[in-house]
Amino acid sequence: MLSEGAVKEINELTGKYANSRSVVMPALYVVQREYGYITEEGMREVANILGLRPIQVFEIATFYTMYNKKPVGKYHIQVCTNISCSLLGAEYIVDVLSKKLGIKVKETTPDKKFTLSAVECLGSCGTAPMMQINDNYYEDLTEEKIEEILKSFR
Amino acid sequence: MFEPIILKNINVPDSFKIETYLNNGGYQAFKKALKLNTDTIIQMVKDSGLRGRGGAGFSTGLKWSFIPKDPTIPKYLCCNADEGEPGTYKDRAIIEKDPHQLIEGMAIACYAIGAANAYIYIRGEFALGADRLEDAIREAYSKGYLGKNILGSNFSLNIYVHRGAGAYICGEETALLESLEGRRALPRIKPPFPAQVGLFGKPTVINNVETLACVPHIINRGASWFASIGPAKSPGPKLFGVSGHVNKPGLYELPMGTPLREIIYTYAGGIKGDRRLKAVIPGGVSAPMLIEKDLDTPMDFDSLAAKGTMLGSGAVVVMDERTCIVKAALIIHEFFHHESCGKCTPCREGLDWIVKVMRRVEHGEGKEGDIDLLLKLCGDVFGRTFCPLGDGAVMALRGAINNFKEEFEYHVKNKRCMVNGAGR
Amino acid sequence: MATVKINGKEITVEDGTLILEAAKGAGFDIPTMCYHARLSKLASCRVCLVEIVGQKKLQPSCVTPVMHGMEVLTESPVVKSARSSMIELLLANHPLDCPVCDKGGECELQDVTFKFGPRNSPFGERKRRFHEEDYILSPVIIQNINRCIQCKRCVRICDEVVGASVLGSIERGAKTGETSFVKEYLDCDHCGNCIEVCPVGSLMSRPYRYQSRPWDLKGVDTVCTYCGTGCQLTVQARNGEILRVISKPDKGINNETLCARGRFGYSFINSHERFVTPMIRKGGTLEPVPWNEALKAIKDGLTEAMKDGRKTGGIASGRLSNEELYLFQKLMRGVFKTNNIDSGSRWNTGAVKSFANVMELNKGGISVYDALNADTLFIIGSSISDENPITDYLIRRLSRNKKMNIIIASPRGLKLDSSATLSLRHRPAAEGDILGGIAKVIYDKNMDKLKDLTGKEHLKNISRENIPDLTWTDWSSIESVSGFMLSANSITIAVGNDVLRGPSRIESMHILAEALRLLGKDVKLFPVFDRANQRGAWEMGVHPDILPGYSFRDGDGLGSEGIIDAASRGEVGALYVVGEDIVSDFPDGGFVREALRQVKFLIVQDIFLTETAKMAHVVLPGASFVEKDGTFTNQEGRVQRLRKFIEPQGDAKADWEIIASIGEAVEPSFHYGSVSDIFKEIKGAVPMYRGIDFEGLDGNGAIVKGSGIGGQGAGVVAGFSLRPKSEVRSQEQETPDPEYPFILITGNHLYHSGRLSLKADTLRDILPEAVVEMNEEDAKAMGVSKGDKVKVKGDRYEATLTAHINKRSVRGVVFIPENFTDVPVNMFFTKGKGFPRVKVLPLSSLSPQGRGPG
Repeated sequence: MLSEGAVKEINELTGKYANSRSVVMPALYVVQREYGYITEEGMREVANILGLRPIQVFEIATFYTMYNKKPVGKYHIQVCTNISCSLLGAEYIVDVLSKKLGIKVKETTPDKKFTLSAVECLGSCGTAPMMQINDNYYEDLTEEKIEEILKSFR
Repeated sequence: MFEPIILKNINVPDSFKIETYLNNGGYQAFKKALKLNTDTIIQMVKDSGLRGRGGAGFSTGLKWSFIPKDPTIPKYLCCNADEGEPGTYKDRAIIEKDPHQLIEGMAIACYAIGAANAYIYIRGEFALGADRLEDAIREAYSKGYLGKNILGSNFSLNIYVHRGAGAYICGEETALLESLEGRRALPRIKPPFPAQVGLFGKPTVINNVETLACVPHIINRGASWFASIGPAKSPGPKLFGVSGHVNKPGLYELPMGTPLREIIYTYAGGIKGDRRLKAVIPGGVSAPMLIEKDLDTPMDFDSLAAKGTMLGSGAVVVMDERTCIVKAALIIHEFFHHESCGKCTPCREGLDWIVKVMRRVEHGEGKEGDIDLLLKLCGDVFGRTFCPLGDGAVMALRGAINNFKEEFEYHVKNKRCMVNGAGR
Repeated sequence: MATVKINGKEITVEDGTLILEAAKGAGFDIPTMCYHARLSKLASCRVCLVEIVGQKKLQPSCVTPVMHGMEVLTESPVVKSARSSMIELLLANHPLDCPVCDKGGECELQDVTFKFGPRNSPFGERKRRFHEEDYILSPVIIQNINRCIQCKRCVRICDEVVGASVLGSIERGAKTGETSFVKEYLDCDHCGNCIEVCPVGSLMSRPYRYQSRPWDLKGVDTVCTYCGTGCQLTVQARNGEILRVISKPDKGINNETLCARGRFGYSFINSHERFVTPMIRKGGTLEPVPWNEALKAIKDGLTEAMKDGRKTGGIASGRLSNEELYLFQKLMRGVFKTNNIDSGSRWNTGAVKSFANVMELNKGGISVYDALNADTLFIIGSSISDENPITDYLIRRLSRNKKMNIIIASPRGLKLDSSATLSLRHRPAAEGDILGGIAKVIYDKNMDKLKDLTGKEHLKNISRENIPDLTWTDWSSIESVSGFMLSANSITIAVGNDVLRGPSRIESMHILAEALRLLGKDVKLFPVFDRANQRGAWEMGVHPDILPGYSFRDGDGLGSEGIIDAASRGEVGALYVVGEDIVSDFPDGGFVREALRQVKFLIVQDIFLTETAKMAHVVLPGASFVEKDGTFTNQEGRVQRLRKFIEPQGDAKADWEIIASIGEAVEPSFHYGSVSDIFKEIKGAVPMYRGIDFEGLDGNGAIVKGSGIGGQGAGVVAGFSLRPKSEVRSQEQETPDPEYPFILITGNHLYHSGRLSLKADTLRDILPEAVVEMNEEDAKAMGVSKGDKVKVKGDRYEATLTAHINKRSVRGVVFIPENFTDVPVNMFFTKGKGFPRVKVLPLSSLSPQGRGPG
């Protein structure tokens, strides 16, 4: 169940829009924060609060890639593998991470600490190669830099 | 050296704070605008020649003038901050480093079109940017630049931040509106255009971040000043984000029409390791790539269109001689395939088919006739999709094949790459 | 008007006409996949792209309107190649498993490919597969997403027309699929309209699955007999076995839509429970006899029963055809010499007469499309979303694209509330007071213009102060409704037959309509009926005080209640009941059972051995709706043909034949050879039907015209008083009993209608057992959630049921559908006392094994 605070937060969001359906996207972020990922229960709760049918929430949750439909690790590492980063070795960055974490792309470490994803352009092309861990960007990556970053999370 | 306009505060410490902005002359344009007739402002923006910086290059002033004048109808401004075109990172810089410049531009735009509510649709990944905007909006409210009866005028305005959640298609303005209304971001049928039926069914202007950031400067310094920068038909300062195999990748603010060669060699420091340039994407991955012989093309809407490509977002992606074009084309095509919303047949099915063929060609499993098949499929998709996404995808691929056909054929014939693969 | 050239052919069409339609008019066939005339426009399949001379890009003809002077090419090489490419792309990931696909042979993708598609394709990749096993989405829907071509017709019809909104698109790009929430079982109308509009074999009917190839089916276009909406449907059978019902886009007011009952409620026809020979009670049991013996028994039985001046009576169903009902009343009046006749037994006979009057049924019919062409639509007295699903769908669809204020007044929350501008929740049987309240506000605001308003003195009894008690609605809501009506130029008031269930004082309706008309408003009155031929029954004169053609009289004839009363006193010698199960319907089950025991000779004609039939001396096997010819008059007053498709089962006969044979047995001149002969006679007796050509009735039927009886302008005919003498004691005068806090109301369920639907196994699969619906807050207060078992207890009956929650229903009311044999809701009722009061006891501790009776 969503916490009381989360329900309140979703209800308050309706004030931002002329139509409460607009709240689906921010509400799904609330669900993701509360449950760690988008759960069936969470989608039903959002539908219920906003007066929608569950499918209308499910449609949104599956369309946008940032809603995790499965649990992810505490640190979600997303490496940009689009063109600018790729030109500067994004594949190598993925390999380094994969080796250091002992997991392949789309996998989560057994301790549920790290999930590794390859993603499309994150809009940091001038500082390629780069990755995002949770909300933060890590740019101009090298193997040494990655080592350092991972160390800070261990 | 061109004196930066939009990026002028970017390296000032605490550039994102309202105090910094105010100390550098911030919100003066808004104050000035509030004393002007709204038609005057729209005319100024028209006269400035400002064209949309999101990529389509439509006259901003004209777009504003389509909004009905009836004061009883609610209107909206949506700032398109869904910067997702690979290679592009200009709007993020404005948002993170100088959010008040955007807010001021929005406030002027809202005043001009009579909108009392505005949304900034920011792509979900820009968490820092969203936070900076929220903070900046809060600051603007507290200083009286947003809210009720702004600066003693009759004008009231609320600005809200709406975070996307990972969908490139939201950069398409009607898809953005759908997304903002809590639906799947599928482009809408036009007409009706957003100026008539937009957000929540009301007249709406959708402008790019960089476009709106230009507005305070036009008000401050006049339309003719703006129009005097760069070529007459697409004037003004432009942010060029250079990435790829260059010595100094980064964001450069230059007059429209600066030649591509100058951007790469003068500003971005030339190709890494002094290697030869193989190809360059001039305006984000939807823009067909150019080659060495095209480098003197001025970077503006019309000159690039004449070359069969486009200015797009002004994202310059440079590829050196060791780059495998087939692989680059596959990466780009995978992107479009991943981002296709799935609404229309040619984009959904066409890109899916193309990606399957491209993958096997790149992986060395291509079959004879695959290149022709790719070109046929590009033809099936081009000009028939619902929105420009599919067109962008096949234009990019066609551009690559047309410029580097022998490389594609080599892949098919020899089951391997002509070059050593994308270098580091 | 715009003049355009299409493939060189010049045509002039209305401005705004879509190229697609214009081309069709000019004789050019443009293929489409996502386009649907009555759904929102998508323009996503791109199969209908055409060339507009002077434009670089091809344009989708399904959304592009013509412009004067436009030159369009629909057959140019570039158009043909684009079209072929689009079809090729649609086929690329399509599984092409046509041999095992139910849609094969009637698949739109097959058809366009055959006509316009490529002859070969270089596609050699792995096809996308979402799943191996098909998804079962409902008792009636099975899905194969692999075949989906993303036209979204299913999603659109579910959302825009049905209002269920349970289908959607998930994922995106090439992975997009249309399905339900987490692919779970659908909580919806189970109407199957998504199946009907699916162009391919993605959404399929479970009952029809693997049953036949379409070319092996033979079908007939006929009319649905489940409710008063009167949908056209096509019944299809292979080798005489009915395998499915479909709707046709170009047929009837319903077009492609049907409800669960219409589409899936047919299997009772082949039910083994039907009795198919006449039976006579011999020594306590009913035994099969040949027809001649049964008829002889009837003749003898009647003579015997009518000795000593005992009364006779007849009750016929509003689900029989006009011909049957006409013949029935003629038999009763002419041969049995009695006016003791009625259609159905659920309603107060006096209230029916008032209803026919105030609704101005004698003025002729009105098309639902005309009725819905109004600024304000006020719906009262009907759980329209459940009782008349297609009327609900029509309102939802038509109101999407135009400004029409929909106002709904009902005790129960309705699905249509989501399309309404305003929904009032009121106390059961308060309809008259609500209408009166509205009239009062209008009168008070316009006293100068309404000086001559007839009946205005009755408004004195309604006030701001007493409205909350009378109706459980506040005065401000009443004022809002009045406001919507006053600001409208055209107003349609749709009144359902729930007002006949209780003492609703529907007469106020007349004052309201009159007031609005005096103010210059265009007022249309639209009746909403749950029985398919209820209107026909009255027009044919099956009512003690109504002769054919709404010739009203004040006589001594008895209606159902009067007949049953008389029977209970032993005064009824013979009673002939056709198609009605009065033991289950009459609002006091125990009383009617006792009363029928006193009837000397009871003839029951039906297709199942109903509770009433079980008590009969003679039972006669009637025919189902596909086994006989005739006409039905729906709530609009639209006369439509019922068409015989198969022979009646066993020795069963068309009901009109049986009625005629009984007549003939007693009076040899009572002879009818065909339905068209009877219709000819109806035309003579019922002036409203004079203009109708029986043979010429097509898919849209014909609407009856005002007869002139009572005068065109006059709403009220002679003999009509605003306060019928036989008014039942009002509900509000009762002191609420804290022991029994709820008012029990009943009606049809969305999936069931009358008792026939229970014999249709598919409908029984959808809803197998009775439920009790209650308000969410009430449920919460008792700790009851959806699906819990509860005991509903009245002062004379109790039943254990599954709880359903209706968020928007009024508090203090529970609803139990009247359709379930094992929970005969009429047992809760006490004759003459209105809606019963009940209490609800949660049985949450009860284990599933220990479920209580019934």
